[in-house]
Formats: sequence, structure tokens, C-alpha cells
Amino acid sequence: MSVSPDQPPSDTELLAAVAEGDPEAFAALYDQHAPWLLVRLRQRTANPDLADQVAQETFLVVWRDAGRFRGEGAAGAWIWGIAIRRLLDLQRGRAAQERLAGLLGRRSEPDAASAEEQALVTLEHREVIRALNRLSPELQAVLQATVLDGLSTREAAVLLGIPAGTVKTRAMRARARLRQELA
Amino acid sequence: MREADAAGTWHADEAMLSAYGDGLLDAAGRWSVEAHLTSCAACRLQARALVDPARLRRLRAALIEVVDVPRAGVAERLLVRLGVADHTARLLAATPALRGSWLLAVAATLAFAVLAARVQRGPDATLGFLCVAPLLPLAGIAVAYGPGIDPTYEIGLAAPLRSFRLLLLRAATVLGASALLAAVASLALPRLGWGAAAWLLPSLGLTAASLALATTVEPLRAIGITAGAWVAAVVVTVAPPAPSSVLFATTGQVAFATLALLAAAVVLLRRGHFESDRGFDTTPRFAARRLR
Repeated sequence: MSVSPDQPPSDTELLAAVAEGDPEAFAALYDQHAPWLLVRLRQRTANPDLADQVAQETFLVVWRDAGRFRGEGAAGAWIWGIAIRRLLDLQRGRAAQERLAGLLGRRSEPDAASAEEQALVTLEHREVIRALNRLSPELQAVLQATVLDGLSTREAAVLLGIPAGTVKTRAMRARARLRQELA
Repeated sequence: MREADAAGTWHADEAMLSAYGDGLLDAAGRWSVEAHLTSCAACRLQARALVDPARLRRLRAALIEVVDVPRAGVAERLLVRLGVADHTARLLAATPALRGSWLLAVAATLAFAVLAARVQRGPDATLGFLCVAPLLPLAGIAVAYGPGIDPTYEIGLAAPLRSFRLLLLRAATVLGASALLAAVASLALPRLGWGAAAWLLPSLGLTAASLALATTVEPLRAIGITAGAWVAAVVVTVAPPAPSSVLFATTGQVAFATLALLAAAVVLLRRGHFESDRGFDTTPRFAARRLR
């Protein structure tokens, strides 16, 4: 798992070039990010056509809005933030889409890797893994949406089809459970 | 399940990635991989093996097609603001003859013609200028129709505009732009007067004639024929003792006005020929160029 010695342009550099309208940089960005994006989307939807559509629209948004990437956090997280919201929109149909547009308008940018996300990256302890895996599917789903996908409580509620209050209590319960198991 | 490199950084190994792709990992493993992929270029490269290459290529081609088109420039945004429909604005703004380089070339040509007229200082010093000016819109339209030149050539073919309307739109745009530049240039001619504008009717006549011809032969050939005829007419009619041409006298001007009207009528009557693929190469030969 070695990194190639000749350093290719970083994601931030590529995105800056894309913001300038450089199609070559866009192609390079696609080659970097499309594979994992498609694989990850397939974890969220069983429909391969939908995954393709979301990936395509995501990259079009990237092309249009690359200038909005402020270089905080990983570009991958930013791209995923766009993709998961596109998926959300397409899955929930038009009515939900309009509702969501209102929500998104008020919401801040998808945030950079949170502390929890960092913790996940550096997972070293068997106990953490076991604790995560012991959570109920409902709690796991809420953690995945709020922590990993970086969705707000309200977006997670739309995605999971449960009230926002429930998302909040489940997220709290999941964290409490983890803390308790790791104590 | 995972390995650490010399620096002790966590990386997802091949087996873990493929298990992830197949949905076989538990929550912790899944989340570790996902969180890691957003920030690790090396593991992202590995993830490539999990996706069907044909699928990646197909998506890529579709995206490049959309992206590899000039973005809305100042001209296009202005046109849209003026109420021109989006696709029309894009096609007009993307007219190659409206790009900076082309306009610059037209301006330079006119500047030289004006300069020559000022240096020459003869009884008909403006002759060179008058001969060159009508050729500029023709060259502009030729540039607008070369498949190898126009970046939106394929869009033009697929656009909801019919070829005829597009042809007229572009010809009018090019003619307008060239005429504007030529009008500005004629203000700098040594002897200002009605004679300094004698290029306008020939411009109109030649443009209309080339469009009319384009209903029977390829547009580029039609333009070539018209330009050649113009040059020949100038050469033949310039009388050696007094360098002047009947083309720029009243008779010639009336003749060009008539030519413009006649040609316009021909274009209108034969406009159906623009829709068929005669004259316009609609084979996918050029479309293939973009799908690298």
C-alpha cells in the first residue's frame, strides 16, 4: 500500500482547477473519486442505475460548484456530502425533494471529518469494534447517517423515515451505549 | 483484517476492500473503510478494482461530454439576460467567429486596410479597404461552419434548433459583428463620406449569395465560390488608368442590393435543403472525436 513517489496533484489543487473550468482536472478528479463513490453508493442503494445516476449528478454538481469547496477537510468528504444528498433527493421523490431543499437552504455546509469520524479512521481497539457491532441496527443506521454521512438530524430523519426527535434520541442512546461499553 | 504501514498509518487492505464492496463487513469495518476512503488516495486507487471498468468508462464519457463544452461566457450571459433562450444563447455565443481571437484577426485586417489607405493617399485610396471588408463576414461564416473548428459542432447537430434557423442566426451574428467592426474602421478612413460605406451592400450581397449557394453545394465550397467571384470581379473591374471600380459606384451598389434580395429569396425558397443532410455533414464521424 505504497503511495506513488511522483506526487499527483492533490484533490484541493484539482478542485481549484475544476473551479477554473479545466476539463482535464475534472477528468482526473473523476478517475480518483468515481470508483469509491460508486462502491459506497452501492452500500446505500441496491439499485445500480440509481447509484450511477447519483454519481453522475454528483460530479456535475462538483463541476459546477467546485469553487465552493473551501479546502476544509477532505475533498472526498465534501463529494460524499453532495452524493448522499442527491441520493436522498432521488430516493424520496419530488415532495420530499422540495421539503429537503428548504432544509438544505438552512443547513451549513457538510462538515469536515468530525471527531467521531477521526476516531473511526484510527480504530485500533477490538472493544470499539465489538461495541459498534453490538449496537442495534436502528442505532447503527442513525450513527451512520449522522456521523459517517455527515447528515443533519433533519436530513437523517428524511433518509431513515423516522421523526427528527427519534433520530436525536437514538443518536444520544448510541453514543451513551458506546461510552458505556468502552468505559 | 487491516494492515499498518511503516509509519503506523491505518490502511484498508485488498481483502477488506473487496469484502466491503460485497457488503460482507460488519458495521465497524464498513464505517472504517468508508471514513478512510474519503481521505486516503492510495486506498481509493485500490477501490478501482471493485468497479466494472466499462461502467466507469461509460459514466466518464457521459460526464466529459457535458463538461467539455465552453462555459457560459460574458457574451452568453448577456444574451440570456436579453431574453434569448438558453440553448440559442449558447450556440450564438459559441459561434467560433465571435471568439476573441477571430474578432482580433478581423480588427487587425481592417486596421491594416485603413493604414494602407492612409499611406497610399491616392484618388481611390480606400479601394483596398472596400475590397477586403466584404470578405470578412464570409470568412467568419466559413469559420462558423468548419466541423473541425467549431467546439459545439455536435451540439449544433443535436440542438433543438433546426439547421436553417441556426444557419441564419449565426450568419446574422457574424455579419453583424463584422459590419460593426468595419463601420468603426471606416470612420478612420482618410476621406469620410458615403463612399466609405460602400462595402456594406457588397457584404450583404455576398453573404446572402453564399447562403443561397449553400443550398446546393457544401457551405464551405459555397463561401469559397462567392469569395472567389468577388475577388475576380474586383480585379476585372478595377480600370488601370484610374484605380476605381464600378462595384463601388451607384450601379454596383444597386446590383449588390438586388443580389442580396434575390439570394435571400432563394435561401427562403430552398430552406428545406438545409434540413436534409446535403451540405451539412451529419455523420457521427465528428461526434466520435469527443469520446476519447
